[in-house]
Amino acid sequence: MGADVEMKDGDKKKETKEEEKKDEPVKALDVLEVLFENVALLEKSAASKGEPRFVAKVLRQTMAWRKKLTAQKLVDFLLASLDDSNPSKQSLVDLAGGEPSPAPPPPKPATPKRRSSRGKKQTEGDVDMVDAEGGETTATKDDTAGDANAIPPTPPTPAQNALPETEAYSHLLVLLFLLDANDPECKSASVAALNRLSQFNRRTLDALQARIVFYYSLAHERFGELAEVRPSLLALHRVAALRFDEMGQETILNLLMRNYLHYNMYDQAEKLRSKAQLPASRSNQQQCRYLYYLGRIRAIQLEYSDAKECLTQAHRKAPKLAKGFALELTKWITVVRLLLGEIPEKKDLTTAVSGGAAAQRALLPYLELTAAVRLGDLEKFRAVQEAHEAAFRADKTTNLVTRLRRNVIRTGLRRVSLAYSAISLDDVAQKLGLGEGDGDVEFVVAKAIRDGGIDATIDHDARTMHSSDATDVYSTGEPQAAFHARIAFCLDTHNEAVKAMRYPDKVKKGKGDGERKSAKDRDLEELAMHIMDEDEMDEF
Amino acid sequence: MADIATAKKTLDALKKAHNSGDAVKAASLLGTLKIAVSSFPALPPVFEQTKTAADELSIARDTFEMAVLHAVTSGNEAAAERDHAQLRPFYVDCRGLMPDSKLEPLITGLNLTRLLVQNRIAEFHVELETVPARVADSAHVAHAVALESDLMEGAYGKILQASMTPDALPAKEYAAFMASLALTVREEIAACIEKAYESVDAAAAARLMGCAPADVAAVASKRGWRGDGNGGFLFAEEKKAPSAEDIPAHELINQTLMYAKEMERIV
Repeated sequence: MGADVEMKDGDKKKETKEEEKKDEPVKALDVLEVLFENVALLEKSAASKGEPRFVAKVLRQTMAWRKKLTAQKLVDFLLASLDDSNPSKQSLVDLAGGEPSPAPPPPKPATPKRRSSRGKKQTEGDVDMVDAEGGETTATKDDTAGDANAIPPTPPTPAQNALPETEAYSHLLVLLFLLDANDPECKSASVAALNRLSQFNRRTLDALQARIVFYYSLAHERFGELAEVRPSLLALHRVAALRFDEMGQETILNLLMRNYLHYNMYDQAEKLRSKAQLPASRSNQQQCRYLYYLGRIRAIQLEYSDAKECLTQAHRKAPKLAKGFALELTKWITVVRLLLGEIPEKKDLTTAVSGGAAAQRALLPYLELTAAVRLGDLEKFRAVQEAHEAAFRADKTTNLVTRLRRNVIRTGLRRVSLAYSAISLDDVAQKLGLGEGDGDVEFVVAKAIRDGGIDATIDHDARTMHSSDATDVYSTGEPQAAFHARIAFCLDTHNEAVKAMRYPDKVKKGKGDGERKSAKDRDLEELAMHIMDEDEMDEF
Repeated sequence: MADIATAKKTLDALKKAHNSGDAVKAASLLGTLKIAVSSFPALPPVFEQTKTAADELSIARDTFEMAVLHAVTSGNEAAAERDHAQLRPFYVDCRGLMPDSKLEPLITGLNLTRLLVQNRIAEFHVELETVPARVADSAHVAHAVALESDLMEGAYGKILQASMTPDALPAKEYAAFMASLALTVREEIAACIEKAYESVDAAAAARLMGCAPADVAAVASKRGWRGDGNGGFLFAEEKKAPSAEDIPAHELINQTLMYAKEMERIV
């Protein structure tokens, strides 16, 4: 442990908020360092009665350092941060399954006073901790410094160790570690974590608990046991609603919808969604997910305009790093647009897609589908449908694609009616590939006319179709309708932006001494960074 | 204690009565059987694991399947819907607990067709999503899906033809639905004729709607078609002079007011 920390004692003073910046090449930050810092932040959050900033930062940092977790570091963290009396400690250590790092060489003789002063200097690195800890840093196993060159990170204090937040955080870390290693133990770990957390009723635990529930569901999904999770998710949702745990409610509602949609139980998902109360404060990622699930339900229920709106909104709100999500959304949006009768542009499915060649390959079935619908060619449509059946089945869009047959015919008819002023019905049948079903063509054309798809009349005796002349579109109300749609959208965006604005919670009054002013500045700066960072994909 | 033996005997009697077309006897047997089944402990949602659990589940499932078939053949759509709802947990939740039912494709196909006939297309599609792949490939479900596709496209000729030839149906139980479907289709065709044709004579109308000229006259009077004196009908509308009523005044006013309100809100 002492070997890999390269920070000198003096350097600590220089570390201010630059610790948080992940792209710090000079100082090799240790994972453990970050973890301990997170624990300190958790204490602050508990003290501030649930201000979301701190926990959000903890979670963000955890996600960033997730890949660097090793079993050894994890065990070190667990041993340092949990009290021995904590019931979960031993099980967590077992799950982490690593060996703790060897004890560092015995410390040079140092007076207690000096040691505590060194401890104090170490903590100055995290500026906010000064007030909280004062001289409280006690020595635990890892605190002993070997030589002056290698100083291990400051482990948490016993006060911090006793916090349930620390314990929850430890559970979360172990869960993340097991999930990343694809260890089937993660399922039982998540169940144990939830059982332990259910004994507490603290609002500060909400964010951590929401994450743990999410990973609980993910762990079971990865190992194919999603159906078993459903009853406990429903129970958790009830509890969250009772306790006004908004973050939990949101997360669990999304998880339940995902669960139902995984098994194609669209009607139950819709029933749940319509009856459940939607909590007010929505994190961006959860809202994206919710819109995606809602869009899928609406698409299956034949409400294509609603579906398109939800899906495009989700696409717009999704963070840039969520490429897989954006790909899924593009697939569904393409199909819904085709069902609505609009043909998506080719570049939407090829060059404009983020994700490079792999994404474009995944979208190839949909590109060919669009081409078939655009041409109105039933033969080609059938060929595409059969060729890519496996891909559609994997995306669960099979039935939607089947519904597209009608759109193919409609588009074909439209092209024919635009191209010909009069054409015999048999020729129409031949062009559409409808076959020689007697009278069928006539009915199809008649229905298309009735639905407003084409503008024509049929002459029954002569068995021909006459297209009407194109009317002047500007004399109808259509331009106004199009304008109205755009204006409404702009106004909606403006309103949502206003609603999403946030202000710092406390503006410290009094320009007082320099120290207090700089504290206020630091707060504001941190807030600005927090808002900026939220754009990045920090979750999952 | 579940009385399996008597239940089984009643079930066999019910099947015989149903196959022989004895509706009254079948109904009474069904009643007794349902009461017997409700006392079984191994059914959902309780799922108590008794020794005879598998038997109880399969008897209960067969009971409800017969109930659905009985309701369909007697034309009772509401009862068919109820019984299918009772049957659904057996298909979904108990899939691993007993061998698959041979009647499942038929029941599923019938249910889908019923939704189609009642014009509940959204529910049709939602149901279709929950059907597992094995059942979805069967002739019954494929038939229902083809029907829906034809209805949506407008290939009414195919549907009318199918309703005329009962042999083409996968099972005789569909016949009841096809009759009501044919009626729906005729209504649709009539509506399409109004929009698509400028004029049509009586014989052509009869041929299009697939019914006798007398029926055509009935439909025409119900829909208010104008006759042209020869028994045919005219649909072209007189050109109305553009008037002030054509402007969608209310809509425009509402829209403009909304713009004004939103703009005022911008600080």
